Amino acid sequence: MAEQPLTEQDVLAQRKERIDWREAIEGYLFITPAVLIIAVFGLFPIAYAFYMSLHRWRVRKGPLVGLDNYEKAIGDWQGALIFVVGFILLYVAYRLWQSAFTEERTWMLLSKAGSALVVIAAWYAISFGWGRMLLEGDDRFLNALPITLYYSLGTVPVEIALGMILAYLLFQKIRGQEFFRMLYFLPYITPVVASAVVFRTIFSPRETSLANRFLQFIGLEPQKWLFESRPFLEVVFGLKLEGFWAGPSMALVSIILFGIWTYVGYNAVIFLAGLGAIPKDLYEVAEIDGAGQWQLFRHITLPLLSPVTFYLALVAFIGTFKAFNHIFVMRTPSALGTVDVASIVIFDTFYKANQYGYATAQAILLFLIILGLTMVQNRVLGERVFYG
Amino acid sequence: MAEQVQSMEQAVIRKSRAHRNGRIEWGRLLIYAILIAGAIAAVLPFYWMVATSLMTLGETIQKAWWPDVPQWHNYVEAWTEAKFSKYFLNSVLMTAATMAGILFTSTLAGYAFARMKFPGRNLIFGILLSTMMIPESVVMIPNFLIVRGDIFPLPFGPSWLNSLQGLSVPFMANAFSIFLLRQFFIQIPHELWDAARIDGAGHVRFLTQIVLPMSKAPLMTVALFSFIGSWNAFLWPLLVTTTDRWRPLMVGLWTFVTEAGPETHLLMAGAVITIIPILVLYFLTQKQFTEGIATSGLKG
Repeated sequence: MAEQPLTEQDVLAQRKERIDWREAIEGYLFITPAVLIIAVFGLFPIAYAFYMSLHRWRVRKGPLVGLDNYEKAIGDWQGALIFVVGFILLYVAYRLWQSAFTEERTWMLLSKAGSALVVIAAWYAISFGWGRMLLEGDDRFLNALPITLYYSLGTVPVEIALGMILAYLLFQKIRGQEFFRMLYFLPYITPVVASAVVFRTIFSPRETSLANRFLQFIGLEPQKWLFESRPFLEVVFGLKLEGFWAGPSMALVSIILFGIWTYVGYNAVIFLAGLGAIPKDLYEVAEIDGAGQWQLFRHITLPLLSPVTFYLALVAFIGTFKAFNHIFVMRTPSALGTVDVASIVIFDTFYKANQYGYATAQAILLFLIILGLTMVQNRVLGERVFYG
Repeated sequence: MAEQVQSMEQAVIRKSRAHRNGRIEWGRLLIYAILIAGAIAAVLPFYWMVATSLMTLGETIQKAWWPDVPQWHNYVEAWTEAKFSKYFLNSVLMTAATMAGILFTSTLAGYAFARMKFPGRNLIFGILLSTMMIPESVVMIPNFLIVRGDIFPLPFGPSWLNSLQGLSVPFMANAFSIFLLRQFFIQIPHELWDAARIDGAGHVRFLTQIVLPMSKAPLMTVALFSFIGSWNAFLWPLLVTTTDRWRPLMVGLWTFVTEAGPETHLLMAGAVITIIPILVLYFLTQKQFTEGIATSGLKG
């Protein structure tokens, strides 16, 4: 019974063989330590978290309360439902808008007008649903959602754009490419708690802090950074907007800057690997056809890098929605909760308020939000990816 | 056809002329300027950390760039009085225990999933992989109750709070490491196994004497990842250490922020102490480090 490299037939043939129980028992013994640990600390807690979320549970288990914990977080179900429908409508509008570019002229106008109408309806549903949720729901938890979104939208596009630019420049046969790559990678490999502690002093309100030194250097007023709870737009441009459009606080912007600092180098390194995989002759042919630098970038580099971009965007987006450590370290009392993203609120509910059942309900809600966003991102961005 | 060739030649000539005229040289200068600006932005915070760690308390408030006289004894003070030596030792023990655990469990499981046949193998493997999706915040609270001994009785003591096992055991196995090793083990040629079996070796001997010596690279990657993961761990150690006894560096650094607010110079010295082991590891294993992370996407 000489065994050769496995092919499909071999696998099928082997499956039909009788089970060798001696080997099977040995196999079970081999996987036991890993399976035991993952089952106890990875699988069982998922089910138990759900069980906990259905109870009133303050340090010790209390009575079964059904879905009360969830309702406490999101206010009322109808509001939440309208809110979610709003986002589904946004997606429908996006689809309509896209179909506008493939059909004939009248249809194009119709679908553009239609998608504009749907956007208005979606916007109405979102703000109406959100208003209803805020009336009855947990303000701290609900406010954490736009804060998380600010953090996400503030870091992900910027860190990906900067990472791509640096990688593209590094790729131009630069002397000391390895050296630059090593330096850019440093922020990423540094333990995040340690670098966050350092940035706490860099973004301190003192006039001698590094951030304020930099502002003075380019001729601007010093800022209070992590200790400033007012919105960034108000502090810097004097713009006073209401609600969601007021934007992130200065403290959150400081944390966003830290997030960008941490991940740009990581993105650059991965983009660099992606650039190396693009065939050189494509560039040569295009150059001979007279394409300029920008055209080369726009029509060869960008589309061929899109799988990498997509991967990075997805991972970064999920990462920002789970972000905890550095935000926890960099938050200050003077920021007045304007940097409290969802995972921070969950931690406080659990650790400070000792509401275990409610905290697990919040964590499960956050998980559902992440799952939904991942699916949307997969569809919307995923179909723009060019796999060659 | 001839025209095309001619225009191609012209394009090449034009390009090399532009090169000679130095137009592209300006472009290159700009590229270097941007790259260097990026490098400064990446490194400046480290410089700031080291500079501040060598200042006196007064200088941390007034100065920004460099102390008059570097206060090297700040490190001694952080190491002894701020108890960073204790935290450091705790971190080393926690990391070593977790790393040993991960290597042990994932080698065995990776080998079994790659090379042994038993009913339910693929199902079990799939279920293990699915745990990679679940965010930490969902499982954190139940795990805290488990470790506190609330849900079922634990071996090695009624509660694992403030203990080495509480810090390390929950992380002694993960699907990612098993997956990584399985992918490697599955590629080992079958002829080797046949030969070993003819010599009378079983799975244990084949694994320890032939497979493991061949697998230094993937084992190294797993060890590196578990080192970073464990050394950088913060949220879980924060939950399960209520006293100094087993508090690792990251939590020690954080409690130092909250308890000794204004002593910035000692805090920065502590941060340097925390970062150094990772930096040493990075410079020693740079290639593997960068490529390992770039190909598998560690962290979020």
